[in-house]
Amino acid sequence: MNIISDAALHWFVTTLTAGLAGTWVVYDTFNLYRTRNADRSDPIVRDKHFGYVMGIIIGVVGILGCLRAHGVM
Amino acid sequence: MAKVVSPFNPANAVTASRFLTLPPFVWAVDHGYHQWATLFILICGLLDKVDGFVAKIFDCRSAFGEVFDAITDGLCYGFALSVVAAYGWAPVAPVVLIILMGLANAWMRLVYGRRAGRTVNYKSYAMERIVAYTGYLVGFATAGYEVAFYYWAFVPLQGVIMLHDAKRMLLDAVPARGEAAR
Repeated sequence: MNIISDAALHWFVTTLTAGLAGTWVVYDTFNLYRTRNADRSDPIVRDKHFGYVMGIIIGVVGILGCLRAHGVM
Repeated sequence: MAKVVSPFNPANAVTASRFLTLPPFVWAVDHGYHQWATLFILICGLLDKVDGFVAKIFDCRSAFGEVFDAITDGLCYGFALSVVAAYGWAPVAPVVLIILMGLANAWMRLVYGRRAGRTVNYKSYAMERIVAYTGYLVGFATAGYEVAFYYWAFVPLQGVIMLHDAKRMLLDAVPARGEAAR
């Protein structure tokens, strides 16, 4: 019992994943750049930097998965 | 004087409504309806975003609401991951590791709350990002989309974030009220 075709679902998941992952990479790269001169002795600043780096890595993983799903990698 | 917010507010109602997506999710998985299962977990994830907007619109943000939201994330995604693993839609080993790390995180949050001496949500920028990934994990399984790759890539990322957050929750000083919300 399908709602849409399997190919449409495949592209829907790709669009959703690559769209969010790509946006996230750009957003957290910008956040990291914006806070590059913040005081790193502040634990909250350190937590933000760590979170932004992890966000970039998660975004890259998301994009790599999409490339694998379409046989690019 | 701080504003007192009832736990029975619109934002928490939206958060609680996420549990309503789980019975139809199980029904869809049990009948092998991949697309319907994807739809129900998508609705569950979207409601997670809606409750934040509702809290802003109705000005009913509270520490309880934040903790309830985190608990709901853990229960909904943990349950959904267990279901997809039980039905063979996702590899069991990473799902077990993910759930064990999630339980360890819940325990550390409890310890952190006790150290703070009040209802407080531990705010972690990295954990916010990995929780979004967790929601996606269920969707990857229901859609049959690069399942092994995404599940095995998730485990080391969650492990690193857990180690980082463990130090902050168990060892570092607890920030004063309001400081952690910066």
